[in-house]
Amino acid sequence: MLMVQNSYIEVGAIILFGIGFMILLLNNNMIKKIIGMNIMDTSIFLLFISIGYIHGKEAPIIVDGEINAMGYVNPIPSGLMLTGIVVAVSVTGLMLALTIKLYEKYGTIELDEIMNMRSD
Amino acid sequence: MSRIIELFPFITILLLLIFGAFLTPLIKKKSSIVRTNIAINIITMMMNLVTLVYVNNYGTFIFKFGHYGSPFGIIFHIGPVEVAIAMMFSFVITMVSWYSFYSIEKEIEEKRVGFYYILNSLLLASLLGIVYTYDVFNGYVFLELSTLAACGIIIVKDKKENIKAAIKYLMLSTLGSGLVLMGIAFIYSISGHLSMEYIHEAIVASSLAKENLLLISIVLFSIGLGIKSAMFPMHVWLPDAHTTAPSPSSAILSGLVIKAPVIFLIKIYYVVYGFEFVNSSRILQLMLIFGGTGMIMGSLFARRQKYLKRLIAYSSVAQMGYIFFGIGLGNELGLIMAIYHILAHGLTKSSLFLSAGSFIEQTGFKKIEDFKGIGKEMPVTLGIFTLSALSLIGIPVLPGFISKWNLALASIDSGMIYLLIVILLSSLLNAVYYFPIIINGYFGEDNLDGKVFKSKSKPIKELIPVILLTLAMIAIGFMSGPVIEFIRSGIYM
Repeated sequence: MLMVQNSYIEVGAIILFGIGFMILLLNNNMIKKIIGMNIMDTSIFLLFISIGYIHGKEAPIIVDGEINAMGYVNPIPSGLMLTGIVVAVSVTGLMLALTIKLYEKYGTIELDEIMNMRSD
Repeated sequence: MSRIIELFPFITILLLLIFGAFLTPLIKKKSSIVRTNIAINIITMMMNLVTLVYVNNYGTFIFKFGHYGSPFGIIFHIGPVEVAIAMMFSFVITMVSWYSFYSIEKEIEEKRVGFYYILNSLLLASLLGIVYTYDVFNGYVFLELSTLAACGIIIVKDKKENIKAAIKYLMLSTLGSGLVLMGIAFIYSISGHLSMEYIHEAIVASSLAKENLLLISIVLFSIGLGIKSAMFPMHVWLPDAHTTAPSPSSAILSGLVIKAPVIFLIKIYYVVYGFEFVNSSRILQLMLIFGGTGMIMGSLFARRQKYLKRLIAYSSVAQMGYIFFGIGLGNELGLIMAIYHILAHGLTKSSLFLSAGSFIEQTGFKKIEDFKGIGKEMPVTLGIFTLSALSLIGIPVLPGFISKWNLALASIDSGMIYLLIVILLSSLLNAVYYFPIIINGYFGEDNLDGKVFKSKSKPIKELIPVILLTLAMIAIGFMSGPVIEFIRSGIYM
């Protein structure tokens, strides 16, 4: 129990990951699937940034020319997650565009209805 | 001069990304977009050939971005395995673009032809990036890029089924890349590095204490990359995507896109974790089981299919099974054969898809039963199809046989002789579903009745790229000794 209290950010991130994963897999509505994908990605960002966070240290921005590496949190995970966010946004964008196309072609965005339609 | 050649891998990616994918959309005339992209592909292929010769003569080299060394900067590791795979990728893409120069307009709308070529360039750039990189996060970004581009070349046809297949593919792929990113997060928290070699050092220094975390991360990587490369139980997206895409796209998707994550996975196993950990973690047994069931189940599924392209797509699942089987054997020969099979299958499956695409294009049929007597109408194309199919079945000299033979030797080496049954059974099943197509195509009085000789044949100049692909396939079968030695000199173990 103590472990959970000490690392509650990680535990939260893993729970969010599970929630997103299950929504992405099990839901039939495209929009809900996209929301699930975003929850999943965000949980990974949270986990990653929590790795780089050191309690009591400042953001890695140099003020007044004062340079002391020990005073800052690790900036690399935050930097990586900027890239991760860009990737997630582009995937979401493509997925939303495909959802519009899906609605144009089939008239619905519920995947189980689409699977039941007979395709010739 | 050597300094310039060491820049080539970087230049090819830059060329493809900036000129191929970013600047050509600004060109107004459609035909010039097509020509520019094909020219860029040919230049890439030539540069990769030069790099291949250079690596063969002078050995592995490392390209540092901005001259920053490994722990701070991103590096490309260019060794024999990387150049061999990169050469195959650029050769196949060049041949497929050449083929689609004549025939893509029959499958997709004319205003989208430009998009198709742009996406091809983007795809090749990202695949080369995955192959070269020695940085896990860089690999992840290239992986995502390749997924998006691959989705693009599926939906470029813009039919109902394409959208559905692309959504299925994108959904599972996102799931896979989520798992990969999670794996990177775990491994970064243990080691504090992203460069593969430095992660390895950190893992070796502290492996006993963090064994569970390492185990979780290796499973995340295996499943995530397994989804992207259609490992057997996670292959559900593959048949739809590869069937509905235009035939040249199917050739690229089946030949290249599912191969690049495997290379990344091999690097993760042997460069990041190292042989000792991978061998002791039993993840390889998992690979062996998935690969073995894939080899048999993929073929069993393929046997039941009614549509030609769907059959070939399921055969891809079976062939990916061979690659995972080779990795799962856990000895050097197995790993070499996995990489050799990547080369062999890339060439074979792309020529198979292109020839199947020309059957469909010329006759308008899609079902296998309608292709009876096709050998009289299109003898050359069915000849190419036959050679590729024979390679997949495993007729001696052709590359499919070489990899099956050596995989059999490797499984005897590893002491698991019962695995020979799996290889044998899978080969027989391959024969069961490829031979009827060939036999009904060439022989039988009823089948050939009313068919006119060469009536639907394509002009020979349109078939040259497919013939070149087949010749390359036969060449790496004949020269399997040198090729295997070349791969062995750069194997990660």
